[in-house]
Amino acid sequence: MISKKPLFSWVLERFRGLQILLILLILAAIFLRVFPLEMQKRIVNSAIAMKNMNALFLYCGLYLGAVVLAGLFKYIINLLQGYIGQKILFEMRAQIYNHILSLPLPFFRRTPPGMVIASLTSELSSIGEFMGGAIAVPIINILTLLSFAGYMAYLNPLLAVLSFSVYPVEILIIPVLQKRFNHLNRDRIDVNRSMSNVIGEAISGMHEIQGNAGYELENRKLERFSARLFDIRQHMNKFKFLTKFANNFFQSLGPFILFIVGGYLTIQGRFDLGALVAFLSAYEKLYDPWKELMDYYQDYQDSKVRYHQIMDSFDVKPEFQRLPDVDREPHRLEGNVDVKDLSFMADGQIRILDQISLNLNAGEQLALVGLSGSGKSTLAMVLGQLYNYSIGHVLIDGVELRTLTRMDVSHNIGYVAQYPFIFDGTILENLLYACQSLNQNRLVSERPLPAREEIFRVLNSIGFSEDILAMGLNTLLSPERHPEFAGKLIAVRESFFHRWGGELAELVDFFDVNRFQYYTSIAENIIFGHPNRKPYESEELPTNNLFQDFLKRADLHGPLLHLGEELAMSTVALLKGLEQDDFFFKMSPIPADEFEHYSEIVDRLTRSGRQHLPREIEDALLSLAFRFTPALHKMASLSPELERQLLQARNLFMETISTADPDAITFYKPGEYLYAHSVLENVIFGHLRMEQAQTNERIRQNVVDLLSEAALLDDVREVGLEFQVGSKGDRLSGGQKQKIGIARALLKDPIILILDEATASLDNASQARIQHLLNSELKGKNTLIAVAHRLEMVRDFDVIAVMKAGRIIEMGKYEELMERKGLFYELAAGSTESF
Amino acid sequence: MNSPLDQQKAFEPDVKGRSRCELDKNLDLLRMVPAFSSIPIERLKVYAYLSNRIRYRAGEFVFRQGEHGNLGYVVVCGKAQAIRELKSHSIFLHEFNESDFFGGFALFADAPRILSVRATTNLECLTIDRETFQKLFMQFPEVGIKMLDVMVRRLIEMEEKLMQARADECTYG
Repeated sequence: MISKKPLFSWVLERFRGLQILLILLILAAIFLRVFPLEMQKRIVNSAIAMKNMNALFLYCGLYLGAVVLAGLFKYIINLLQGYIGQKILFEMRAQIYNHILSLPLPFFRRTPPGMVIASLTSELSSIGEFMGGAIAVPIINILTLLSFAGYMAYLNPLLAVLSFSVYPVEILIIPVLQKRFNHLNRDRIDVNRSMSNVIGEAISGMHEIQGNAGYELENRKLERFSARLFDIRQHMNKFKFLTKFANNFFQSLGPFILFIVGGYLTIQGRFDLGALVAFLSAYEKLYDPWKELMDYYQDYQDSKVRYHQIMDSFDVKPEFQRLPDVDREPHRLEGNVDVKDLSFMADGQIRILDQISLNLNAGEQLALVGLSGSGKSTLAMVLGQLYNYSIGHVLIDGVELRTLTRMDVSHNIGYVAQYPFIFDGTILENLLYACQSLNQNRLVSERPLPAREEIFRVLNSIGFSEDILAMGLNTLLSPERHPEFAGKLIAVRESFFHRWGGELAELVDFFDVNRFQYYTSIAENIIFGHPNRKPYESEELPTNNLFQDFLKRADLHGPLLHLGEELAMSTVALLKGLEQDDFFFKMSPIPADEFEHYSEIVDRLTRSGRQHLPREIEDALLSLAFRFTPALHKMASLSPELERQLLQARNLFMETISTADPDAITFYKPGEYLYAHSVLENVIFGHLRMEQAQTNERIRQNVVDLLSEAALLDDVREVGLEFQVGSKGDRLSGGQKQKIGIARALLKDPIILILDEATASLDNASQARIQHLLNSELKGKNTLIAVAHRLEMVRDFDVIAVMKAGRIIEMGKYEELMERKGLFYELAAGSTESF
Repeated sequence: MNSPLDQQKAFEPDVKGRSRCELDKNLDLLRMVPAFSSIPIERLKVYAYLSNRIRYRAGEFVFRQGEHGNLGYVVVCGKAQAIRELKSHSIFLHEFNESDFFGGFALFADAPRILSVRATTNLECLTIDRETFQKLFMQFPEVGIKMLDVMVRRLIEMEEKLMQARADECTYG
């Protein structure tokens, strides 16, 4: 198992060719580092002393050449080392993550996400840096050390022995210091993890913290750890710098010995000056490799500690085999389920499931009912191979479920949780998650992804079509991807206008060139088109000189500045103190991240009035006025006079731009698709007024009817599938998330379908639809195991198992159980009475 | 829709001759609602800022029993009725008038509506959604308590009417 792998095996097993190349480069580099020393000696002794110009130039030339080459080699060595390190890191991270993904679910219940994240990111990265040099650094430095030492011994053995005498002392002291350091380092990692967990917890519970103003409490929680971290760091620094001190001290003892002994010998004439200079530089050069070795030693110790800390925390065995031992296709199961004396223990002693036995033939439907805590969800999860069991048997087509590989299970069993997890991305990606996972294994022959028709059929069967359609209607198309579709929608716009244009004149904010649009910004109202060039985009307009001139000519500069001022004042006053929560800014012309900036502007305006404003403040205020959308931003209003003025300005702008820069804007015309507006707005060629809920519903229905006549509904749905669901699907309702969960499983068409209260958040209509689906299409074809929360749902099931305290206490068909007048009868009676 | 509620009216000038923004108008309405009256005005302003107007024509349903919704309503003008729909007929439970508050359960939990509300005249309401309400609730818990007080009283009153209706049915049906 990966968590048992020693640190060095990562280095030794991989990239051997590169590592050998690295060592060869190192050998060459070492030669190039010793070579200048000899040149140095010769320059002093043979060139300068003998006054030989030619020799001087030759030796200096060779010196220079060696130094340049040495630098170049060092550069290549560093690059290569970095490359190897990052490659190893890449593989390590992938393999450890892969291992973590297959750990049993209970592991994740007791492991805080912060710890896993920190392990895989920062902790592992620093190991990666070490790994690159894990082999090269010691070799390079030991060899350098030896070659300098050798050269020194060649110059003068006595001096060499004397100057090396300090090293053994260091070798004794440093490991002692390091050991203390390692111990502290382990503590540091633990504290660091606990600290990440505190932060992680605070972020997930931010609403509770802010709601209770628990800032101080949380701060104190963090402080406990950061204070501890501070202490540990202090101690670590003590040992780290003590090591450094010892190093430096012994190192500087060297020259002292050299000057005393070497000087004496030279004065005596037993040693020449050139050799002494070379000796001194050799000694100085010893310092670098020695220091690097020390650093290496510290890095090695540090990485070892981190590595073991990481591996120990993931040293858990996956419960199920992921792939079969031999290459084969996944089993095609029939769906017979046989449970015999199954018990499931939690924490070693509590029996959550107690001697469960039941039998389900392929195609039969089983309902699990009971009060909460009776074990029905646990049983469903065991049957979905999400929990392992140790006592009893679960046989699927006679094969023990525990021994089936994940590959087999994923091809045959679909499990839908009560709160299905929705990944950040589009709806389509979420729907196809299960199908795509099946194809990720190269051993298995590819299964085609469901076609568009199949997806829509499934979505329709669970009542999700309407939602997708609504999302499609709200989508913005892109001119690159949907030009053809946009063209078809313009045709629908024509028939819409033809049929309902007159009737709806008062109910829709049409993109009529002669009317002001309350649902679009002031900038869009003036430009009345889509900018094709950056300087005409709304945010750029304040700095667009042509536009500035235009505003002054249209007498709008002053009024808009005034409007911007009013907006800034009222918005800042309104949202002061709420700026930490984006939520409050959804209907504000000032986004949360600009709030501070505008607060400062408002301060200045109240302090020193509006005379002589600097250009950038004027621009900021204009920019705010340009964003102002009367129907959305309630904190200011537009006077009828300014509205008239803006409308006139629109015509003036059209004239101005068509001479000055004719292609800058695509004006809104009944024949143009407006890519800045949604599909729905494009068909009706206007905005629905927010306040008329039911009328809007009717208009929307009209649009849907027209799209249906034009056979475009599926295309709209297709763009609806591209809807971005947000992190954890938070732009979807609970019911929509459940529908995605169900559709995701159904699209995989599993032979055994497990629904764990999978319809609990659905409204009655959708609930009935899914009921119908279970009773018709799936009946007799797929084995169904459903944990049910509403008893009216289970009437048609083949078997109903009533659970209590981990046991099945009644089992049979609906009528039988009602006649028995047992727990089921009680539950049924209770559920009708409470309504 | 040429009711007095129409678009033009949004720009009716106030005493100072300046046109009043929608925020101020919403604020005036919310101040009339007893449950909100204790909120400091600067914060009530945030409610006013985050609430939206919605209009119904006479006879339209604001919501139906059994539906899931996330909005609470304050009547701006017009009248509405709360009714409980039964298989064969409906029972009238309550009438909502100007500055009455209804639909509040949806602000606390995502539960199906227990009754239907229908506009009896042309109706205009201010709505607030669950997320907004809960964000603000955290800051001013007393609003929630006052609202619950109103809601529980009304619930008891309706329960009694319902029981009476059932009792009548049992006697005559």
